[in-house]
Amino acid sequence: MTLTPQEEREVVATVMKWKTVTAIFLLVVLYLVMGAAVFRSLEQPHESEQRLAILSQKLQFLSRHSCVNQSQLEELVKQVVSAIRSGVNPAGTLTNNSSLWDLSSAFFFAGTVITTIGFGNISPHTEGGRIFCIVYALLGIPLFGFLLAGVGDQLGTIFGKGIDKVEKMFVHGEISQTKIWVISTLLFVLFGCLLFVALPAAIFKHIEGWSALESLYFVVITLTTIGFGDFVAGENTTSGSDIEYMDYYKPVVWFWILVGLAYFAAILSMIGDWLKVISKRTKEEVGEIRAHAAEWTANVSAEFKETRRRVSIEIHDKFQRAASIKRKLSSELGFSPASELTLPKRTVSVNFNNERDRNEKEAGLHCSTPSATNGTLTMNGPDPERGEISIIEHLK
Amino acid sequence: MRSAGRSWLLLTGFILFYVIYLLFGALIFSSIERPVEEKLRHDMEVLKREFLNQSCVSAASLDDFLLRVLAANKYGVSVLGNVSVTSNWDLAASMFFANTLVTTIGYGQATPLSDTGKAFSIFYALIGVPFTMLVLTACVQRLLYPLVLAPVSLLQRSGLEPRSATAFHFMLLLFLVVLCFFVAPAAIFTVVEGSWTFLDGIYFCFISLCTIGLGDFVPGMQSGQKYRPLYLGSVMVYLFLGLMMMYLLLRTFHKLSDIHGLTTLLQLPRCEDSDSDEDRDPIVDRGEASQSQTEKAASRPLEPGSQVSYNTISKG
Repeated sequence: MTLTPQEEREVVATVMKWKTVTAIFLLVVLYLVMGAAVFRSLEQPHESEQRLAILSQKLQFLSRHSCVNQSQLEELVKQVVSAIRSGVNPAGTLTNNSSLWDLSSAFFFAGTVITTIGFGNISPHTEGGRIFCIVYALLGIPLFGFLLAGVGDQLGTIFGKGIDKVEKMFVHGEISQTKIWVISTLLFVLFGCLLFVALPAAIFKHIEGWSALESLYFVVITLTTIGFGDFVAGENTTSGSDIEYMDYYKPVVWFWILVGLAYFAAILSMIGDWLKVISKRTKEEVGEIRAHAAEWTANVSAEFKETRRRVSIEIHDKFQRAASIKRKLSSELGFSPASELTLPKRTVSVNFNNERDRNEKEAGLHCSTPSATNGTLTMNGPDPERGEISIIEHLK
Repeated sequence: MRSAGRSWLLLTGFILFYVIYLLFGALIFSSIERPVEEKLRHDMEVLKREFLNQSCVSAASLDDFLLRVLAANKYGVSVLGNVSVTSNWDLAASMFFANTLVTTIGYGQATPLSDTGKAFSIFYALIGVPFTMLVLTACVQRLLYPLVLAPVSLLQRSGLEPRSATAFHFMLLLFLVVLCFFVAPAAIFTVVEGSWTFLDGIYFCFISLCTIGLGDFVPGMQSGQKYRPLYLGSVMVYLFLGLMMMYLLLRTFHKLSDIHGLTTLLQLPRCEDSDSDEDRDPIVDRGEASQSQTEKAASRPLEPGSQVSYNTISKG
């Protein structure tokens, strides 16, 4: 089966891409395994610590309050754990705690579902709630996607205008385009980091009482939409603390999430573009090499064809001329049918002579004619070329 | 100038509609969940009182104990029974955790406790999330031809007109994905996880494949789970494949809406076709080849890790 050139290109491109995909996939698996090993070595000691601590607590409790037996305690703890999972904090008086499903918290929850962050500190527990959650997410996620795209576009335009201004500033400095682009991207990244990462982290640290690392951790985990839920702004997640939030706190957090997500999206698409450019360049380079090879073979074959053509034409021409000379000679020597060759015969013959000489010359027989013939020719008057043509016409 | 004004108007319209949508969701969630919460709270109160009545424990010490239980539980350490054998951080579970991190699902049933763990998570996520997005995008590019373009051209050759061919194909693909990646896994989960109902299984599949990852259901966390590493590994594979299929669905839907003119109507960015030659062929074979698809894709895929909203934003 013969493939057209385009199909061939496609096949080659497909083959190359499969290799790239498998390579990248293996890399990801390797990355996961490496991460797993590191997480295990970092976290398992802590986990064992926590486990021992709570176990000792339990034993202490049991020993101190001897009227409680183990099974009773287990039962209580089971209930407590499921209550905690539903968001009810069983410690302290249960009447004062604000509901996790009042309007503002539910609004926040809806937001986490749509942005696919999904903290999980609140989650629906009824069947109806879960079904509604599915339907809600099905419609809401694309909606949020469009919104984010719009916000990202606006951010992009602002960024573009900023770049123009920067370029104008630097125009006198004769800095190359790529340098300007690199500098402006760096500025964008830095400025964005400051505005959407560092500043919110500082605010969270102050309001929520988290450590600096915890605030940064929360910001990154939220803006990448991972959303573990161990830290949630505005939900009082550090146990034992009772923070009074201002009314506008949660909406502002929400707005920050929206713009921060758009920022991360822009960064991501930038990284994607770079990767595309790099892969395109490698593709181009490989493509160039192949193009060069193809060009070389094409040139060689074209030259070959050209040479063949030229040689064949030359041979053909020479053959034709030889044939025409032969005909002239034969007609001159007496078998010519033309009657007009009587009076002007002499002249014609002179011409013929001249013509013959000329033809001989042209046929490359390289006879050198004396200038006398030229003189006689001019006496007759006809233009050599015209005469030649007319005579040849006669001959034909 | 007019188009810029129009785009701003559309954006504000979107934001407004979005806020209304959130409010609507909040109202419904509130009305559904709040009564249940009230009941649970009431039950807890009763339980506590009962416990305190029949024992010598004082309220203060009980509260103290409960607080500690709460703190431990937040980190996934259960206080029930003896020290449970299953760790949240053995190699299989750590890999599962790393997987939830890079796909941005992020269940949160196990979170890094140490400071170093948190710092490492930050870097790991910042590198791993774009990386995973890249892999998913590349895989979907490869799958686009055999799963979407070829069947659609086949349908067209058998006589359907382009628009209905694409719509029919999309419906078919949607049905298959729902069957293979929601219904079937949910059934499997119901069997393997003792306490999950079928609805719980579907809920879990949906929440995971949209990378929301609330974390109220996480497979493999029951004590006494047999073949836990194998189970977690297969769940990871399922999540990856499922994310790919969701992304593929989204790309197909985007192309479909391009052809049906929805994207131009809403002034949304068109589906970006990658630099590869074969992707430049529109779904509609040759017929509407005039549609130039050169604008940047704004739609991000539903899943993963990627995407801005990683997930919602382009995975295109």
